[in-house]
Amino acid sequence: MGLCFSGSLLTAQDANDAENHAGHVPVISGGMGYIHNVNGGVTTLSPQINPVLLVPFGSHVLLESRTDFIGFFQRENQTTGPFTGKVFKSVDYAQLDWLANSHVMVTAGKYVLPFGLYNERLVPIWIRNLQDSPLTAAIGTRTSGAGDGLMLRGVVIQKPKYSVQYSAYFSALSTINQLEAARTAGGDASIYLTHPRLEIGTSYQRFLQDREVNNVSTYVSWQPAKTPLDLKAEYDYTHTGNGYWLETAYRFERLPIPTFLQRIQAVGRMQQFFALNGGGNSLPRINTQKFDFGLNYYFRDDLRLVSSYGRSFSSQADANVWNVGVTYRFTLPLWPERKK
Amino acid sequence: MKRYLTALAFMVILLMGGMGAVALQKNSSQAQNDQKPSTSNKSNGQTQEVTGEEVFQANCARCHMPPMSIPQRATGTIIMHMRMRARLSRQDEQLLLKYMAP
Repeated sequence: MGLCFSGSLLTAQDANDAENHAGHVPVISGGMGYIHNVNGGVTTLSPQINPVLLVPFGSHVLLESRTDFIGFFQRENQTTGPFTGKVFKSVDYAQLDWLANSHVMVTAGKYVLPFGLYNERLVPIWIRNLQDSPLTAAIGTRTSGAGDGLMLRGVVIQKPKYSVQYSAYFSALSTINQLEAARTAGGDASIYLTHPRLEIGTSYQRFLQDREVNNVSTYVSWQPAKTPLDLKAEYDYTHTGNGYWLETAYRFERLPIPTFLQRIQAVGRMQQFFALNGGGNSLPRINTQKFDFGLNYYFRDDLRLVSSYGRSFSSQADANVWNVGVTYRFTLPLWPERKK
Repeated sequence: MKRYLTALAFMVILLMGGMGAVALQKNSSQAQNDQKPSTSNKSNGQTQEVTGEEVFQANCARCHMPPMSIPQRATGTIIMHMRMRARLSRQDEQLLLKYMAP
């Protein structure tokens, strides 16, 4: 399918590259940070680094991989004793991309499952406005958040007033260390309305091993042009439960306040999860509700302090959740610039 | 239920606060628009020219702030990565390259 769209476009694409000074050198990018979390009185210290290796082969083929190194340290008896723990490492994705043209980009290898807003877009520590994942984050991302196989994605149609994007994939079962994935098939489609800056999308996944189930997600993302507001909402459904989250974030950058206060971002999120058939599969087993409120402070675009308070409600127990930390995004070119 | 209503009220207030900023910005946005180069029309007189900044605001800014600290020699690679992640068209990729590495 991808071959149908490639071909003669390549020559024109290379000519366009001469119109800018961007380099295509291997890069290590990614995020790092430290999060101090207190959940129901239990403290967790979590330093982490998530390097992304990017190796381009020309301007149409890209090898990319992200590895997580996440420390997880708690007191020996949860609330008393010295801190102990370990560093977990995992390969989030390791994939080869062929950017054939606007309509078809082909990915082979281990890739992040395109399900809903969260898994593919908001997971990196330097992007997420609130450090805690939504309650429904496990829906559509079993078993590792990634798939092993083939994925096609691209733009179906692009007009001045709107564009339509898609992803479609098939993943095989894998139990190989660091390449774990479930046998799944699915896709995602979204329409973006240019003028209101509104995106509406939906994801579908068929889980094809053990008990075969359908997973569905619908989502909205809105960033109005005239105010630094970010509104995102998502509804997810699977046979062990369904739920939604609604998140708003507002940067103070345009308020008539001192400059150092304009670097603040206020975030709020509310979410509800309704367990079905006993819940489980990394989802709560009982109905749970949670709200979070956060304040982030951007020293620069790549360095910020993060903080949040949340409270979760369930029939089992209510709990306060605190997060304080710092996140940093880095980009390190691994090669001198090529002479053009 | 009472707690949740409180949380809901908070979210509404946050949303309203953001919307309220529109009014505050109306005048300054108008002034900024006046200073921007006017959108030129192509030869057919119908299609408006899109800038790299507009492509950034429409796509990349959905998830993160503008990255001002990326070395120019890495920009092409980063935008290839983001084109894949954000499902950008080749045309948008070229406009972003001109915007971030002119």
